[in-house]
Amino acid sequence: MSALQAARKTRSAVAMGLCVASAGVGLIALAFILAALFWNGFSGLNLKVFTEMTPPPGSSGGLLNAIVGSLIMTFFGVLIGAPLGMFAGTYMAEYGRNSKLTTVVRFINDILLSAPSIVIGLFVYEITVVQMGHFSAIAGSIALALLVVPVVVRTTEDMLNLVPGSLREAATALGMPRSLVIRHVAYKAARAGLITGLLLAVARVSGETAPLLFTALNNQFWSTKLDAPMASLPVVIFQFALSPYKEWQALAWAGALIITLAVLTLSITARVLGAQRTSK
Amino acid sequence: MTNVLTQEAPASRDQLAQKMSVKNLDFFYGETRALKSVSVPLYANQATAFIGPSGCGKSTLLRVLNRMYSLYPRQRAEGEVLLDGENILNPKQDINALRARVGMVFQKPTPFPMSIYDNIAFGVRLYEKLGKADMDERVEKALRGAAIWDEVKDKLNASGLSLSGGQQQRLCIARTVAIQPEVILFDEPCSALDPISTAKVEELIDEMRRDYTIAIVTHNMQQAVRVSQYTAFMYLGEMVEFDDTDKIFTAPKERRTQDYITGRFG
Amino acid sequence: MVEHTVRSFDADLETLDRHISEMGGIAEKMLADAMDALSTMNVELAQKVIATDVRLDVLQRTVEDLAVRVLARRQPVAVDLRDVVGVIRISADLERIGDQAKNIAKRAAKIAGESRIPRAVVGLRSMHDLAATQLNDVLDAYAQRDVERAKAVWNRDLELDALEDSVFRDLLTFMMEDPRNITFCTHLLFCSKNLERVGDHTTNIAETVYYIVTGESMPGERPRGIDSSTLP
Repeated sequence: MSALQAARKTRSAVAMGLCVASAGVGLIALAFILAALFWNGFSGLNLKVFTEMTPPPGSSGGLLNAIVGSLIMTFFGVLIGAPLGMFAGTYMAEYGRNSKLTTVVRFINDILLSAPSIVIGLFVYEITVVQMGHFSAIAGSIALALLVVPVVVRTTEDMLNLVPGSLREAATALGMPRSLVIRHVAYKAARAGLITGLLLAVARVSGETAPLLFTALNNQFWSTKLDAPMASLPVVIFQFALSPYKEWQALAWAGALIITLAVLTLSITARVLGAQRTSK
Repeated sequence: MTNVLTQEAPASRDQLAQKMSVKNLDFFYGETRALKSVSVPLYANQATAFIGPSGCGKSTLLRVLNRMYSLYPRQRAEGEVLLDGENILNPKQDINALRARVGMVFQKPTPFPMSIYDNIAFGVRLYEKLGKADMDERVEKALRGAAIWDEVKDKLNASGLSLSGGQQQRLCIARTVAIQPEVILFDEPCSALDPISTAKVEELIDEMRRDYTIAIVTHNMQQAVRVSQYTAFMYLGEMVEFDDTDKIFTAPKERRTQDYITGRFG
Repeated sequence: MVEHTVRSFDADLETLDRHISEMGGIAEKMLADAMDALSTMNVELAQKVIATDVRLDVLQRTVEDLAVRVLARRQPVAVDLRDVVGVIRISADLERIGDQAKNIAKRAAKIAGESRIPRAVVGLRSMHDLAATQLNDVLDAYAQRDVERAKAVWNRDLELDALEDSVFRDLLTFMMEDPRNITFCTHLLFCSKNLERVGDHTTNIAETVYYIVTGESMPGERPRGIDSSTLP
């Protein structure tokens, strides 16, 4: 009895030690990354970053065109991708809960969810850039949209599935048609979750570099034209960080810090909304 | 609350109108036959209780009465269910119109995620275009009808979810009453409520009998005695006995009924 | 009958049943003893009967308490409800039968010194025999939940009423024969009334048994002889 317990205690202690050690390694790595980022990022950060365009090599400047480009392409990417994802997710959770189509769509969606973003970039390059003959912000937005869709499909389906069936039955028992039940009851009950999903999708795409490299490329100048190449933070960071110029490297750090803080803000907002949902 | 002693004896059954009438109803979940040739009347302005062990088909029967089962694939009903003489199982039946006439209150309170006011107004807007004043009046009437007006009149804009369980259930009853149905089905309406809330809901059901025809599924036999005039005992998908509630609980005819209500079921 | 899922409920009902049969036994014994005391002028026996009545009263209160507890705790319905209600009624009737026996015993003690005519007691004896048989039968009918037997007891009450009539006439005759018999015979007259009451309570019990088993009241008007109080 006691021998058995002692052995059990030892095993438990070993397993516990391994878990704590692994967590520690992960956290330490993260701490170093963040420390380096904050150290270098803040030293490169100044007002000019938000007011001036990306500079030619060897001179100083800012990231304004890249920030605005990122905002524009993310906005259009979500504008195209989110409704598609919502509709698909709604179909899967509400109308086709037991259908074969849902199973197939869910499977494909899961693949898409874990597909390397560079593959998406190449695909959009083929169907837009090659067809149009040049890089463009539209192509970038489409590539981002394709990344938004699977995330939103997943969260929409999951969140709607969490809405209790009894609530739908109660609405149906009042003689409410299906479309109204979904719009006024199911969406309302799942609202916080749906918004959380959307924010997570935005966070995910705002840091993507690969799909934009092949589609929107980059633009050293101020441009808001959708059918022309457009700058974006991730691509600028990619380009500047690899360059030998001090000023560019400093700007890359500042850009990385901006993206990180933006994503962090979105994630925290999503968490807060999610917590509100569960507390009700 | 009226009790067995002071309750006026129900009029002779032959004189009562049958608001709904179930005739030789069979019900299938896929291949499983959950109801076996069930026949039972729902008398107008009377409360009929359905009792029986879990899985006896009483809830299934209730869900046929407003075609709730139509939500789900592989469920079907055969036979006749008459509402004022018309068969509601008819494929041409407008299901939403039926549900407006046959309301339902569920086991767990299910307020919609919106304000108390909107919980009531929402259902009404499906059928009627009312001005602000008329809608206010209708909401108040429904909340009064469900004996919850005094508790919520000062916070009509608060979320329906902020109420206690018993209040939520009465809100759901108000919501059902607001669209002015003719029949109200209660599916174990008090199983999630404390005794005080239960008493309030029971009192309400008894009062509602004046305006509606009521069917109630309950596991609580004392509740069946308290609120119903007629009781149907179901077992394994069959209608074993239907009679005056007083008769069922003092001297049932069927052995199986007696064994069940006296707690002798193996 | 199949047992309840809640075993202690069965135990409660059995206890009630046992109390009733105990009360029945005591009532029967009291009645027989009181009658013996009356016919043999045995004051000692009469005192014993009077003392026993206390035991019967206590038992009745016990039965009522337990029955009320069962009502509160188990909220019985159908046959169980009728059982418990029946037990309350029967215990009251048995207690009243005990009271009648006690009254007879009291009179037996009182008239022990009076001059007496043994002939006059004969009629009472046969009344007692019939009442005792009836009581015995109805207790059996209760124990076996036997409707037919209960009905038979109910119908036979007529005979006891008829017997009381003839006892009344006999005693009247004795009093007219010799006014010195009046005191003794008047006491006996009251005793015959007591025995007739025993018959009434027995009939009540028969009705209760019928109700317990069927859930309905005994059909038909209660059989009644000519009430002796309407006689001249």
